[in-house]
Formats: sequence, structure tokens, C-alpha cells
Amino acid sequence: MPRTGAFTADGKPKVAVYKFSSCDGCQLAILNLEDQLLDLVGAIEVAYFVEARRRELPPPYAIGLVEGSVSTPEEEERIHKIRRDCDFLVTIGACATSGGIQALRNWADVEEFTRYVYAYPEYIKALDTATPIAAHVFVDFELRGCPVNRFQILELVAATLAGRKPAIPTYSLCIECKRRGVSCRLVSAGKPCLGPVTQAGCGALCPAYNRACYGCFGPMELPNVDSLGERFIGLGYSPAEITRMLRSFNGYVEPFKQASDRYAQRD
Amino acid sequence: MANTITIEPVTRIEGHAKVTIRVDDAGKVSEARMHVNEFRGFEKFCEGRLFFEMPLITQRICGICPVSHHLASTKACDAIVGLEVPRPAGLLRELMHMGQFIQSHALHLFHLASPDLLLGFDADPAIRNVVGVIGANPELALKGVGLRKYGQEVIRKLGGKRIHPFDGASPTSMNKGLSAADREELRRGIDRVVGDFQQAVAVVKGYAAQNESLMSSFATFPSGYMGLVDGKGQLELYDGRIRLLGPDLKPWEPDFAPADYLKHIGEHVEDWSYLKFPFYRKLGYPAGTYRVGPLARLNLCRGISTPLARAEWKQFKALGSGGAVEGSLFFHLARVIEGLFAAERARELLDDSDITVSETITLGPVKNAAGVGVVEAPRGTLIHNYWVDENGRLEKVNLIVSTGHNNWAMNRAVNEVAKAFVDGSRLTEGMLNRVEAAIRCYDPCLSCSTHAIGQMPLVLELEGPDGRVMDRKARGGG
Repeated sequence: MPRTGAFTADGKPKVAVYKFSSCDGCQLAILNLEDQLLDLVGAIEVAYFVEARRRELPPPYAIGLVEGSVSTPEEEERIHKIRRDCDFLVTIGACATSGGIQALRNWADVEEFTRYVYAYPEYIKALDTATPIAAHVFVDFELRGCPVNRFQILELVAATLAGRKPAIPTYSLCIECKRRGVSCRLVSAGKPCLGPVTQAGCGALCPAYNRACYGCFGPMELPNVDSLGERFIGLGYSPAEITRMLRSFNGYVEPFKQASDRYAQRD
Repeated sequence: MANTITIEPVTRIEGHAKVTIRVDDAGKVSEARMHVNEFRGFEKFCEGRLFFEMPLITQRICGICPVSHHLASTKACDAIVGLEVPRPAGLLRELMHMGQFIQSHALHLFHLASPDLLLGFDADPAIRNVVGVIGANPELALKGVGLRKYGQEVIRKLGGKRIHPFDGASPTSMNKGLSAADREELRRGIDRVVGDFQQAVAVVKGYAAQNESLMSSFATFPSGYMGLVDGKGQLELYDGRIRLLGPDLKPWEPDFAPADYLKHIGEHVEDWSYLKFPFYRKLGYPAGTYRVGPLARLNLCRGISTPLARAEWKQFKALGSGGAVEGSLFFHLARVIEGLFAAERARELLDDSDITVSETITLGPVKNAAGVGVVEAPRGTLIHNYWVDENGRLEKVNLIVSTGHNNWAMNRAVNEVAKAFVDGSRLTEGMLNRVEAAIRCYDPCLSCSTHAIGQMPLVLELEGPDGRVMDRKARGGG
């Protein structure tokens, strides 16, 4: 149950937007709601949103939207306070949901990273890993994508206002391709398309432009990554190339991570 | 007792920052610093990837200017493949870049800077935000929304989506052409975009005229200037040679090819910030520090190719009476003049008959072991440099982002403002706002600047001469 303090005196839910290590693109998707943003301002109270405004209202908040992955000791602590402050905590985008592109460093030596870029690496307080928010606290709902689909944010807020479950699909991208009438990148074009294991939500953007899906929405519910990987092998791709394809914007989320580790061993 | 003030997080900038202000025993500011602390590690984790993946990977450095990274990266890949870019592809890329300038400059003016300009530094924080601007000047706010939407639409039409457009440009070509119908739709909207930017220029000029002494005194200091220029020395955002001038606008170095950047640009490191400090090698650090971005570009160019922006640029130059315009607040004016240029340039590109020609070139084998790609991002010069093996696997990556070039200048601006407005004995809201406003002039993009490391809300800390934190004002940050 939401706490009473999570609403303003006139009954509007207080919404907070947080940034962790990320590119800001998912927060910007909120500002990109433009016309809808003007309507939304009337229905909710933006209580905390550093990129957009200085004023902040004290917690608790009805909805917390979190962008970015946990990659510094400060962030590791901060996420616990945010969890306490928010009744309904939602991760927005690939970084918050799966660790994001920076999670590629989880397969490498971070000290080597900092030494490479900085003359005084000892001053850099970075964790060895960049991890999804759900690796630290319980997350109520996840919105996928790099970046997130802004209309899914709108749907999430609208559904929460109406007290219903957000209508966010968990099936594969293939369904969106078929609906859009796009010919299959994998079957017809023989391209290494991650669509069959990737969650829908983007509207089949890349396949519609004759490009194979690179999985920016992350794994669908119960994906069969190995089966797709074997198909890629059949198309002539090496285990190393399959590892590389799986390790991109959502490489550190379990189904992709496990499969990529298996293909890395086969290399 | 001497103190340090920390402001954290700095709001209404892209990303997060922290400022510490050290005061001496007399309560006078002795030094102020802007710290950037976040780690992502792009340069390193890209090693071993294939070079043609970079236009997609590096745009994830930043959600605000993904197109800039996308294009700089694509140009670096072009150099590795060693092929000429077909004219239509060049036009489409430049159009996408203009869309980026329109949306980014509009975002900064209307969402981030206008609350300060329209409502004042001392306005109640409860209204000093984008919602307050909608209340104070709904017409202007709607124009801002419309401009952003148009710029984003250009990007979407060419790259599929607004943020992280996929493969709009791939090495040596564009994956997607512009259909005649899309071109018509964009042409129908462009006159209004030009008109709205003219009005935006008028609003900022009006502000500058009314606040003459503030404009000329607020964070005003000499520096070098760096940016791209075209063959005639005019303002150039997509492709050209690098110009590097001293504070008197005399060349430090004759205009040079982007591929030669390493010969002229060095990077200094301080132990209190993850962001490095680039400088002109011959003069060393800090004598060779310079500024980039709108103010630098309008100071260093010899003209602007489009008529409306050219007329505004002439008036802008007159403000410097022959020399450079040095005040940080003039970044806001320079930014809207550039927005006007981007709109006019987009109109020219849309009128070019080659823009709808689709021509594709197959990605060739690796020809050169290294490639440099440079564009002017909305915030300044952006450099991507890749080294590959014969199979196209990346061996080394070097990125110098716009906000990095301005690192020294932002610190200088914070120092100037802290010394002028911060009274060591107590912290006031207006004081914090002014320190933030000084940083905001540079429109820093902390996602970009922390691509290597990462995170930047603003904390203001008041520190004694011994370095002990005496007072701290932190907003947000968690």
C-alpha cells in the first residue's frame, strides 16, 4: 500500500526520477514526451528530477523511476535509501535493468581500465562491476530498451494512476515484426538477428530498416538463447562472434550473460 | 574559521557535478573547483570490438547528443576504410547533425537556461524551472517544445528513433535515405523553425541588453578558442579544419587537419577530478587552455554562410569591439545564433536535389590502421580516434569530448563567480544558483565527460584552509 505522504494534499502521486551511471538518454525520453508532458504535469507531482528542476519535495514518493547502473560505492549506498523512499520502484532502460553497455567491464580488470585512461588511477573510486539495480534492491517493475520507449513510461505512469497493471509486452520482437509485415531478417535474409530472444517494445525498428536486431530491449521472458546461437553457428558465425553479439547493451543480464559465457568457453 | 562550501548536485545540467569552495581565515574565497566523478570506461571496454560497431556503441556515451558521437565515430570508421563518402550521404549526415543542433540548443535554452534568464537567479526555486517558464511565458515554452520536436523528428526520420538512432549513418554511407514524402514534411516545418529561432535570438538579446553589466562581468575571462571552420574560415559544424586561436584571436597554430589533433592537444590530469584538462601543447598547461562550443565558434569564425545567422553574428562580434566576447553568459546568445544557423542550414540541405538520392557503398576492408573523426557537437569539438588490427578489431580507442575541452574554463568560471558572490560566512540560495548558472553557461554534458568514469550531481562544500569540510549544501544526490 502506498504511504499517504507519497501523495500531495490534492491527491497527486509524487514521482521521483533518479540517475545512476548512464548516458541520461532514458531521463531525456521523459522530457521527449513533450505534449504529453504538459498533460502529465497536471496529473502527477514531479517531486524529484534533478535534470529538470531545482525544487524537490521530501520523500516518500509514490513512483520512483531509476536510470543507470550501480558502478560506484556511493551509488551502492544511495540505491538503498531510494528503495526506502519509493513505494513503487521502476528501472528505466538497459543500464538500470541489466547494467548497460558499461557492464562490459565486468568481464575485464577495472584497475586496468582506470590506469589506461587516468594518470592517477588511485583517485578513482569505481566498483569492479557495473550492475543492474535489481542486483541491489527489490525492483517492482522493469522498463527495457536503450533507450527506453517513452510511450512505455507514459503507459506505466497512466496504469499506476489507474491502479492497473501496465500493458507492457514480454513476448519476443518477432511478434512485432510479423505485425508490421517485415520479412524475417534471420530466415529470409540469413542475418544474425537477436529478435527471437529479445523482448518486444521498440516496434521492430531495426528489422523495418533491413537491419538485424541487436537486442537493445534485452531478453524476452524465457528465451532460448542456445537454440538461436546454434542457428547462428549454422549461418557460419563463430562462438567468439556470438559472444560479442550477446555482450552489448544487455550483455550482463542473466540469460544473455550465461549464454555468452558458454560461447566464450567454446571459442 | 575558514570553510569549504559544496554544491551537490548541480541541477538543470546534463548529468551530475560537485563544487567545493575553499575560503581563507578572513572568510574570502581562495579557490573553487568543479569535480566530476563517475566511471563507465568506454575507451577500454571497446577494445576487441569490431570498428564498425562503434557508431552504435559510442552513441550510448550520451543520450543528449548521441548523433554527435554517432557521426564522429562514423567519420573515424570512414577513415579506417579509406573510402570517399558519396555526396548524398554527406548531405543526409549533415542534416541529421543540424537536427541534433536544433533539438540540443532548444533543450538547453528552454528547459535548462531559460528559468535563470526569464525568472532571475533569485526567483523562488519552486517556480524557477521549466514549469515556471511555461507559466511565465507559455508562448515561448511552446516554441521550445516545438523546436525540440522538429529537431528530434529530423533525427527520427533519418535514424529510426530520437535517442540512440540506429545506424542512421554507417561507415561511408547512410543506411536509410530520405523519402520524397519525408523531405516535403520537413520542408513544410522548417520556416517556422527558422522564425522561432529568430525570436529566441531576440529574447536572449533583449536579456543581454537589459543586463549589460551582469553579462560583461559574470564569469568573464580571456582564453584560447578552438573549433572547426570551413574552407573560407566560416562557422562549420560537420566537417572542416580545426582552428585554434589565442585570447587576442590571433592563431596559436595555422588551421590544421583533424587527424593531426594529437600533435597539438595534450591532456592534463588533476587528482580531484575524473575529467581531464586538455590544452595546447606548445604553450603547456594552464597557459594553453582554451574554450570550445558556441561562444568559441562564434569568436573564431570569419563569418557564417547563411544570411540571418550572419547578420546576428555581426552584431555579436560588435559586442567584443574587435576582440573576443569573453563573458560566459554570452554562451547563451551564441547558442541561439547557432540554432538559427542550424535551422537555415537544414533548409538549404532540404532544398538540395541530391538529398533524396539513395546511393550505397559496401563496407570495404580495413585500409588504414588508424582513423580520426571530428565533428562540432552542440557543446564543442568532439574527437574520436580508433586504432585497429588488419581484421578491424579495435586495439586502442581515444575520445576527447566537448565538455572535457571546457573543463578548465568551467572551473575558472566557478572561481570567478564564487569570488564575486560567495560570502564565506553563510550559504544562500541565490549564491548556489549563481555558481550553478556559471556552470550551466557551458551546457556541460556530464554523461559525455564521464564516459570514462561517471556521475555528477552538484554538491557545494565549504572547506577550511586545512581542507576540513565545515558546511555542506547538498540537494538531491540521494
